[in-house]
Order: sequence, then C-alpha cells, then structure tokens
Amino acid sequence: MNERISKLCALTLDGKMYVETIKPNFDRYDYFLPTEQMNVKRLCEYILCQKPVITENSLFTGLFRFDGSVVGDAFNRSGHKNTAIALKNFYLKKIGNLSTMEWQHATGDYSRVLKKGIKGIIEDIDASALMHYKPEELEFLKGLKDVANTIIKWAEKCSDKVLEFSKSVSDPTKKNNLEKLASSLLLVPRNAPSSLYEAILTMYICFSANPDSVGTLDRYLSPFYFNDIKNGTITRDEAKEYLQEFFLMLQSYTHISSPHFTRGGQSHFCIGGYLEDGIDGFNEFSVLIVESLMELPTYIPQLTFRWTSKTPKDVLWFMMDCERKDPNKRIAFTNDDMRIACYTKICGIPFEKAVSYTTVGCNEPAFLGSMAGSNSKGNLLHSIETLFHKNYGKIINCKSFDEFYGIYESILFDDLEKIFEYDNKYNKIRARDINYISSLFACDCIENAKSITQGGCNTAIASPTLMGIINVIDSLIVVKKYVFDEKLMSMKSLIDALHSNWQGYGMYRTVILNTTDFFGNDDNLSNYITSLFYDSLYKFINGKKNIFGYQWLVGDLAGYNEHYKWYGEDTLATPDGRYMGDMMKFGVGQNEGRDRNGLTALLNSVIVAHKNLIACGSTVTNVSLDKKLVEDDEQFSKLVDTFETYFRNGGVHFQLTYISKEDLIAAKENPDKYKHIRVRVSGFSDYFVNLNESIQNDIIMRTDK
Amino acid sequence: MTGIIFDVQRGSYVNGPGIRTTVFFKGCNLKCTWCHNPESQDFEPQIMFYKSKCTSCGICRNFCESKESCIICGRCTRECLTGAKALCGKKYTADEIMEIIKKDIPYYKNSSGGVTFSGGECMLKIDFLTELLQKCKENNIHTAVDTAGYIPYSSFEQILPYTDLIIYDVKCMNSTVHKKYTSVQNTLILDNLKSLLLIDKEIWVRVPIISGINDSEEEINELKSFYEMYGYPQKTELLPYHSLGEHKYEAINKELTRFNTPSNDKMQKLMKLIK
Ligand code: SF4
Ligand code: SF4
Repeated sequence: MNERISKLCALTLDGKMYVETIKPNFDRYDYFLPTEQMNVKRLCEYILCQKPVITENSLFTGLFRFDGSVVGDAFNRSGHKNTAIALKNFYLKKIGNLSTMEWQHATGDYSRVLKKGIKGIIEDIDASALMHYKPEELEFLKGLKDVANTIIKWAEKCSDKVLEFSKSVSDPTKKNNLEKLASSLLLVPRNAPSSLYEAILTMYICFSANPDSVGTLDRYLSPFYFNDIKNGTITRDEAKEYLQEFFLMLQSYTHISSPHFTRGGQSHFCIGGYLEDGIDGFNEFSVLIVESLMELPTYIPQLTFRWTSKTPKDVLWFMMDCERKDPNKRIAFTNDDMRIACYTKICGIPFEKAVSYTTVGCNEPAFLGSMAGSNSKGNLLHSIETLFHKNYGKIINCKSFDEFYGIYESILFDDLEKIFEYDNKYNKIRARDINYISSLFACDCIENAKSITQGGCNTAIASPTLMGIINVIDSLIVVKKYVFDEKLMSMKSLIDALHSNWQGYGMYRTVILNTTDFFGNDDNLSNYITSLFYDSLYKFINGKKNIFGYQWLVGDLAGYNEHYKWYGEDTLATPDGRYMGDMMKFGVGQNEGRDRNGLTALLNSVIVAHKNLIACGSTVTNVSLDKKLVEDDEQFSKLVDTFETYFRNGGVHFQLTYISKEDLIAAKENPDKYKHIRVRVSGFSDYFVNLNESIQNDIIMRTDK
Repeated sequence: MTGIIFDVQRGSYVNGPGIRTTVFFKGCNLKCTWCHNPESQDFEPQIMFYKSKCTSCGICRNFCESKESCIICGRCTRECLTGAKALCGKKYTADEIMEIIKKDIPYYKNSSGGVTFSGGECMLKIDFLTELLQKCKENNIHTAVDTAGYIPYSSFEQILPYTDLIIYDVKCMNSTVHKKYTSVQNTLILDNLKSLLLIDKEIWVRVPIISGINDSEEEINELKSFYEMYGYPQKTELLPYHSLGEHKYEAINKELTRFNTPSNDKMQKLMKLIK
C-alpha cells in the first residue's frame, strides 16, 4: 500500500473518515403535502444538506448517510416507519418460540448506472412513466426522478467543496488529485463513466443509496480496467490505489464504536463465478481486487469467492492461500454449480439472471439490486418438542420408523407453514413503507414502478433461516436406532425420559451419547436420516412462493444473534440427549465432537444435507481446522484438494477457522465446548480434550509457531 | 475374512501422498519402547481406562457381568458417563472396511491419494491385508502399506502386485540397540528392505528419531551407506520422537519409558545428511 493509502487507512481505522450526518431545518408546511410528496421533498433536501468528507489525501468522496429524519436507504431502514414498528415488536422477539423477525439485506445493482449514468436512468424512468397509468405508480416514478436529479446535484456540490478545499493544499500531487476529483464529479455519476477511476467514483457515490454489499465487483469493473490498461491510461498500481480507497470507504461507513466495525458482517461482496455465457469470470482483475483488499488491515468489506467447476485448481489455491494468511479472516467460499442449479431449477430463474447473484452480510446470497425476500429465523426443533411433549399419544404405538416419521413430518409441515406465514406477515408490514433512494438502484423497480420494499424487483431470494436442524436430525437418528432398529428402549420409555428431562434415564442418555453416530459421521444411518429430513423440506417448500412471488428456499445461517440459545432456553428435552433449556446446535457443520470420523466424513455429511438444493438459501458451513494444516505447504495443498473435492461433490459453502493457541487454552479450561479439536502429529492422532494436562501444555506450546 | 482394527482415520494428510484413509491393524511383533500407539501392540481388543476422567461413580461395575476377569465385552465403555473407559479394537470384515474406504474415493482421485494400511503390523494379517489390497485395486484406489518389515519376504511377494507404495519403518541401524528397544534384531528387517530396494517399487523409508538412541550422525550415515549399496528409496522421512502417546500407557496399564525429543537443529542436521 502506498503512502497516500497508508494515511487514509490510519484515519479510517481511527474512525476519522466516518461521515457525520446533518439534519436540515425542514419546512413545517411540508406537512400540508401528501405523505409521499413530503417524503421525497425532504429526502432530496436532506441529501443536499450533507457535507462530504475530504482530506488532502482524497481521490474520492461523496458518501453520505441517513439519520432517521427522512426515509433513508432500504438496508438501514432509517426513516422507514412501518419497518421500525415491525422491528420493535418482532425483531429478536419470539412468537411462540417458533419465529422471530430478522434484519434484511438490500443490495444495489450498479450495472445500470455504470452503463448509462444517472442521466440514462432518468430516461428509463421517463420511459416507464409512459407505460404506467395508476396515480401512485406515476407518483413513485416522479419521486425516483427527483431523487436521481438530487444525486447529480449532490455530486456537483461535492465538486465545489473539493475545489474549494484544494485551494488550501500546496503539495502539487495532492492538489492535482483533488482537482481531478472535482472535475470528475461534474461528469459522473451524471454520465456513464469512461474509465476505471470514474467507474469507482460512480459506485462510491451511489453506495450511499444502498450501503450494503457492493455486489459482483470484478464484473462491474473489469471492462473499465482492461480498457484503461489497453489504452495505457492506468497502471496496475493506480488501479489498486483506487480499489483500496473504495474499500476504506466501506470500512468507514460503520462507526468505530459499533461492534460491527471489527466484525465485517453486512459487507460481503463476490468475485469469480459463472458469467452469462457460462464461462468462469475470475480474471486478472479479480486477483487485483483480492490483493488490494488483503493489503489493508481492515475488517470491512469481506469477500466471497464464487467457485465453479471450471475454476482451475491454482485459482482455488490462490484464494485459500490468501485466506490462510489473512489474520482478519475476510474470505469465504461458495459453489456456483450448486447455487446456479438451485436458482435455475428450483426458483425458475433464467441462467443469465441466476449468475448475477452476490453474497451479502454474513454470506447470504442475494440478487443484485434486490432486497432479501425473507426476514425471519424459525425454530425447527419446536417440531420435535411438539411431537414428544404434546402429541406423544400419536407415536406411542408406532410399529415402524416409517409410520413414526410420517407423523413427525406432518407436525414439521405445520411448523414450517407457520414459520413461512410469519415471514410473510413481517414482509407485509415492511411493504407499507415506500423507499425511493434504494429503489433507484434496484433491479426492475423503475420498470415495475414499485418500491423495493414492496417487491418491486422481479427476482429475490426468500430464505428464512432455520435453527436446530442438527438437533432434529440427531433426534431422529436416536429414535430410529434405539427404538426401532436395536430396540434398546421402547417409545414409551423414550417419551417418559424426555418428560422427566432424562431424570432417572441417565443410563439411556449416556449410551445414546457414547454410541450413536450422529450427524457428521457419514455413516449409513445418519446419512439416511439427513437425506430423509432434507427431502421433507424439499417436499414442503418446492414450488411455494412468498407474498412477493419469490420462491422460498431455506438456510441454516446463525448470524450474529444467538437464536440457538434463545430458542433452546424454551425448548424441552429432545431425543438427541439434549436437556431442557440447553442451547441448540449452531449451523449445519461440525457437531460439537459428535462427528468423530474426520474432515472428509463431515464434508460428505454436509453434501448429503445440501444435495437436493433446497438449502441453497442462507447457508453457511463453518469448519474449524488444526492450524498446523496451514503452516506447511504440502499439507495445505491437501487441504485445497479436500475442499475442491467437497465442492465438486456438491458442497455449497465453506469458511474456515484454524485452531490457534488461544483456542487450545480455552479448550483446556472448558473441554465440553471444544470436544471437536483433534490434534494430529505424524501418525498420532487424538482429541485434544482426551490428552492429559502435561501433553495439552506441550501442544499449546507447539502451537505457538 | 476378518481382522481387528483399532482405528480408521479418514481424511488423513500424513501417511503417504494425497488425501488418505489410514486403516490401523491391531497387533505388532515389535515392542518399541517409544511406541506412541501402545494400544496397537496387542492383537486382541482392549479396554482403555483414562484414570483422570474417572469419577469413581461405580456405574461400570454395576453393569459388568464378569467382574472377576474382564471378557472385553465393552459394555462398561458404553455406560461410562465420562468417557473414562473406551474399547480399543473391533472386528471388521474386509467388506465393512471397504465400505468406509469407498466413501472417500473422490478425495483420493482429486489429490492422488488413497489408502494406507498401517498398525500395529498390518502384514501379520497377511491374508486379510491381501484381500483388502485386492479390493482396493478393483476400485482403482492407490494403496500403501506401512510396515516395520519384521516378516518373511514371501509376505511382501504376496502383497506387492496390489501395493503401490511401501512405507518402510527403519527403527535403528545398530542391531544391538535395535534388539534392546524393539525386542527383535534388525537383520530380517534390513534384508527385506534390501530386497525391496532392488525391485521396481516405490518405497518411503521412515525413521523415528529418539534422542540418545538413534540420533547420532553415525546412525544416519549408516543408513546412507546402506542406500549407497542397495539403492535409494523415493523418500526418507525422519520423524522426531514425541511424547503425545504417554497417556495411553496408563490407559492400558503398561509401563512407560520416557524418551527425549530431539531438537529442531538436530533434526535439520540429520535431515541434511540423508538428503
Ligand atoms: S463408569 Fe466411568 S467414571 Fe464411573 S467408575 Fe466406571 S470408569 Fe469411572
Ligand atoms: S469390558 Fe465387559 S467384562 Fe470387561 S470390565 Fe467392561 S463390562 Fe466388564
């Protein structure tokens, strides 16, 4: 990183590049206007009242934020009155221990503004107005046009401010940079950008309208980069500088006092993946993006690498190598073959559109220019609880597992019905808000003359995330193995054991915990149950659409919030050996030491879970690995081979954690939480928590390399 | 055919090229004093007892139907709440092992990996091993056999057609020291290695380096002279002794002898000699 970027980086990490908001003195006569007219008027006034952040080292500026006094962007939803009501009542507030409302991502599509500038967007708005006749649609389009013109004016205001500031700068290079910025702000985003610099400046300003994921960055910017390089108007280093300043802006959007500042969520974007013509889009510019980001010691943004079956192994190696060296853990991996298959086959989205997905936030998939079509977290373990604690009369005399499973499935479907119904209800409240600024850069909102919050975009991913899936699968394994196959206990004694919270049945519980191959072991029984369960999800969900017409999918992402704990607290004992009140398992992956057959077995089990594609919604697979695997290139290559095989065989996603010295110390003190850590040295292998203290100490010492 | 297996490690990165499944046979005819898997030495299943985890709750005794002399039924290991008791070694048929092995075929193929049969001494169950090797070859799986080589050469002749790689453990070149610490002379072991080096087969030699026992430069030079005479293997790995298996000695009630780990400097020096 060069000196200019180093200085900006220091300011950013010091919180000094944060954009403060300024509240205008709104005219009280505004209240005489119809609500939407007032909202647009105030939004425009608000934008033009803001002050850009300019430093002597700046080559970019133009970011602004909302403070809640006007209807702001769709991601932060400040000023969205109805959304605020919904969040106040249902965000993280359980309904029947079954559903809570969640935050929703909304991401812009920059392709239109990069292609035709805001001027072109205004032409599109005018063209759309000719196709619509309903007054509310025409009013919406008028609002969009006002906002579009305001953004052009905002850029002009920024230009003036930069020019003014440049007069106080004496260093000729810095002055020159500022003058370049001032003159470019008069060109873009009004017009289509003609260089990489202008393209990044366009995105920099328009990011304020939808400050979430910046989407498929290499696709947006590659044409500009390669053109500039061909014309000799840019060097690789200059391109890197522009990208780095852009990334620093994304970091500075979050206030330094927010816990999100160092978490990096809300900020994933994508590189690689299939292009519309079916070729793999990863290119030299993608490499530059990764390099530029990895040089910065920041937390935001993070990136997801979209792997395809056409990705050469050395590219995956490069990406995993960057990931292993990144102390801030900013890279995740997803499999385009699975995702695109899901979006085309299950969601019915054409291939050319399906390839335009990105990841947002903590790795949720989203289509560019769309708002997440779903906004809830459901508790699936509730179905097992209902079966064993309320409806046990129905199963007590079951003669076969199939008969039992049929009864379970109908309860599962009842719960899913409710979870999806609540999701729709949250959406309905949200749809009472009309958004302008994000809709301007969303897909189809102009053509549909409809706000992004009301389903204005044609394509979106609607994926409630489901908690407790592994507990359900493990519970079903226990029922099949011990009640029906081995007949260790009768259904009645299992029900009694759960009703008494395992009191008096400790022996059974111990045998269950000690001798069951639970999820993650890639054995016939756990794979059978996993497959059966996901097929039920498929059966219920396939073909079902939400109120906006988006096909439902599901995911297992836990995110920042501890739903697995909160839902667990109010869930009675379950057959997987869980006591009443115990937290549920976190995501679909490592099973707290219950997966005992190694990494390939775990990955194969995850593949079984995801093979019918229905879980290609917000699905994340976290894998913790021994740090030693990444310290040695020979072993690291095998790790790359392992995850490439996992993707080739149908894995959807992975992100890695390497077990560090600190983890091992924590494991020593709190062995129950860290049962899964397995240490391997040469041919020797054992679980860390099995070793006696002196050896644990020995390994902790060895880990400090 | 069946065999007693004490562990099947899937997704292993260390016992040969690529990603591998390593199948550990129970039973060995060497008794290396430094062995880090002492539970691999006996041929029959064993109960391992981790004293530090036992809360003396007595539950295991309540379930035991043969309190006077253990019949290794394994019942107590299932009932123990704390994991203080574990059963080591289980009888498998070749098909059962193959079922596990086959699950990771895509990983072998993508990494030029395969299966490694290890132990204990897997070559002591030569017919069971041969059956497994043949079945692997029927499935086009790369095979490696990890052996200490204290077996008649005819056993090698039996497996060679189905074995792609021999991982050959040489404990020590000095015969007297070898006898003292492993319970057998190394003559047969070196004779077999000699024969193997003379044929066209991939061999990796592995030497555990134990401070004060076989970590002298003479030892390594002697191995080098041996290579000079009979040919070099494709690879030689010197593995520093580690004490990670110590807790297992207590668990199977076996007397433990402590050794010292050679320093990194020492290892590098020795490594240079053999390269
Ligand atoms: S059951 Fe386990 S903890 Fe209890 S006495 Fe036996 S070995 Fe010890
Ligand atoms: S293995 Fe069986 S016989 Fe031996 S101590 Fe345990 S329960 Fe008793």
